[in-house]
Amino acid sequence: MSSSPDETAPLFDISGLHYRYVGAQADALADLDLEVQEGEFVALVGANGSGKSTLARLLGGLERPAAARHAVACGHDLLTETGRLAARRDVGVLFQNPENQLVAQCVEDDVAFGLENLAWPAADIRRRVDEMLARFGLEGLRRREPHLLSGGQKQRTALAGVIALPRRVLVLDEPTAMLDPAGRDEVLEAVRELRDEGLAIVYITQEMDETAGADRVIALERGTEAYAGDAAGLFADVALVRRLGLGLPAAGELGLALAERGRGFRGLPLTMGELLDALAGAP
Amino acid sequence: MKATIAQYYPGDSLLHRLDPRAKFIAVSALAVALFVRDSFAGLVVYAAAAALAYALSGVPLVWFWRAFRPLLWLVALTFVAQVIFAPGEPFFSYGFVHLSWRGLELAAFLSLRLVVLVLVGSVLTLTTPSIALTDGLAWLGRPLRRLRVPTDELALMVTIALRFIPTLLVELDTIMRAQRARGADFRRGGLRERSRSLVPVLVPLFVLSFRRADELALAMEARCYRPGAARTRLHPLRAGWADAALLVATAAVIAAGLLV
Amino acid sequence: MSGREAAGGAAPDTPGRAAADGMVLTCRDVSFSYEEARAPIPALRDVSFELGAGGSLALMGASGSGKSTLLQVVRGLDAPEAGAVLLDGAGLADARYGALQREVGLVFQAPELQLFAATARDDVAFGPRRLGWPEEQVTPAVDDALDLVGLPAARFAARHPYTLSGGEQRRLALAGVLAMRPRLLLLDEPFVSLDPSTRRQLAGILERLKAAGVTLLLATHDADLAWALCDELLVLREGRVVAAGAWDFSPAAGRLLAVNRLREPFLVDLWRRLGRDPQRAPRTAAEAAEALA
Repeated sequence: MSSSPDETAPLFDISGLHYRYVGAQADALADLDLEVQEGEFVALVGANGSGKSTLARLLGGLERPAAARHAVACGHDLLTETGRLAARRDVGVLFQNPENQLVAQCVEDDVAFGLENLAWPAADIRRRVDEMLARFGLEGLRRREPHLLSGGQKQRTALAGVIALPRRVLVLDEPTAMLDPAGRDEVLEAVRELRDEGLAIVYITQEMDETAGADRVIALERGTEAYAGDAAGLFADVALVRRLGLGLPAAGELGLALAERGRGFRGLPLTMGELLDALAGAP
Repeated sequence: MKATIAQYYPGDSLLHRLDPRAKFIAVSALAVALFVRDSFAGLVVYAAAAALAYALSGVPLVWFWRAFRPLLWLVALTFVAQVIFAPGEPFFSYGFVHLSWRGLELAAFLSLRLVVLVLVGSVLTLTTPSIALTDGLAWLGRPLRRLRVPTDELALMVTIALRFIPTLLVELDTIMRAQRARGADFRRGGLRERSRSLVPVLVPLFVLSFRRADELALAMEARCYRPGAARTRLHPLRAGWADAALLVATAAVIAAGLLV
Repeated sequence: MSGREAAGGAAPDTPGRAAADGMVLTCRDVSFSYEEARAPIPALRDVSFELGAGGSLALMGASGSGKSTLLQVVRGLDAPEAGAVLLDGAGLADARYGALQREVGLVFQAPELQLFAATARDDVAFGPRRLGWPEEQVTPAVDDALDLVGLPAARFAARHPYTLSGGEQRRLALAGVLAMRPRLLLLDEPFVSLDPSTRRQLAGILERLKAAGVTLLLATHDADLAWALCDELLVLREGRVVAAGAWDFSPAAGRLLAVNRLREPFLVDLWRRLGRDPQRAPRTAAEAAEALA
């Protein structure tokens, strides 16, 4: 349900965003600009303390910005209380800890929670919940209690609960950080499918390999933007990658180590294939 | 680990399909009648009704036994106390023990009453999922809203608390093991020493719970939860003819027990 | 090795321990089941392996394969229902067993959950104090442990644990176990949920412990970290050992890894593709860069 009459308006149109935690020495976010268009897959990377999670909460209308030149999310003004409340309807946010997002005593009831909050009629809730259970592979876990779910299953349930309310953009705050490799794959697969369906996604992570396929990468460093552009550009700047302290796949670690020994690269390799090419091609 | 309070046994019996509000009212009324009525005959009527309800629920008897077993000591204690100390003409005496027919009758009555009470309560909890029960109670408590009591929010709090109990028990076990691996011993010493040894377990649990409350509240707001706003339900409460019939039947049973 | 066989309260003497100080761990047909209402759930079945003094073993397998259970049984938190855990060759019946068990440290998953004291020092000192050590021995043990995990006492000892960052808390919890000077260190998925910078620091800490001669048993999902830190491998599947011993990169072993959803370490794969002997692949990116430069 679009509340913005202009279909080509950006989903996020933010300029000069500021945020500081009470009693903190420095800004968590300082003078940040962000624009996200319909259907874009934007990766937001940064180390701990870079302001990523703060930004996620602000984008979701869950926190009041300290200041901004303008901060509009899906046509709602984040600087006003009503705007923030309205933004929560259009912006979905999935958090890091799967356990602390599940409210109900079984999967089905939890997926329904958001729709119950919107006072949908029971029959519509039932239909939408069945849809979500099917598309996230949770059919067989319908009545399962949360403490009997694996990490990956919990996070998929939480995701189903977030997407149950039709969204215009989805913000994911390090969704795989607490999962084992199997759970990570499950969640990344689910996100990929959403992306393929055209949902705009802001994917926040510390792991470079999860940014694969992003249209754009934005890197945060201590609350400000350190890089904005395509992924290739970021990987070409080896010094920046090292400074940002991000998690690199094994190929990238080796690339970084080789760069330190004077081996030049056009861009930091992320996969085995890229590494082999780089090793073969370099002088 | 299966750890559930108010254990629910999934099923599709007549009793499972009744509205939780009707069931709660029926059970409460019957419980009151049980304590008001003093005759064996009345008790037998109520016992028969409770047994019939249990049979209709289709829940295996072993589940009632599980609910009842922790109270067995109370029943036994009541029985023995009445037998020994009740007034009446003794037909057998030994020391301060005076067995009288009156005493035996009283003991049997009080014990049976306790059994019936647990039976009636079990029929409610075994056939009603806790979320339905809390929803039902929230609805029944609606009038309290006029006194500014946030019944719907309280119901949600209860549901969330129940949801996290098994999780907390696992976390408690893990933290205890982790501290045991550092040499903590929870079984040693008297009450004071044991209480102090629980600090390394309780503090982390509290901190974990506060952090959880913060994160959970955020996740709920992200899904458009607003305290005080009207909410619908995936499983709405729908009272029907069967529920009215239950209330009528219960009233009849209570009356029968009072008149017998 | 004085002090080690003394009554349970004395701390091992020298803070900087000599090499080859590690404990020998032997598991013989260890079996364990969890008691459940209807039927017991077998978690470990006839697990047998040996880990020499100062050795390093990566314990791998899917979630639920029994890794955590094995670590807790080795530490003595649960008694095996069959088989035996031998520490330095001593079994349960041996008089030395209690003292030896106190020299086995176990770091749980997400160990920062166990932090409870008002200061970092008090939390780290908990273990040594529980062991009955006098304060003159507790203080240096705590200082050494804080140093080892990169939280120097001068700056961190008086801090409240909850004011530390996630990575600092993880390291603080590790210090709490290291302060007890374990000769056998068991770690349950120590790298999960860690930011990249702390992951590197932790790998460095474990390297240092290895160099100091501590025996390491590390349960992990991460094939690359296992390859970097451990000389041997133990793979569990539904509680049973399906592979044990030195790393093996023959095709048969490759199939075994695949079946258990385990990747081959990246550097091993790379070496193979470059036409070099995978068995001699470097352990870390730094080593590999040296070899390739």
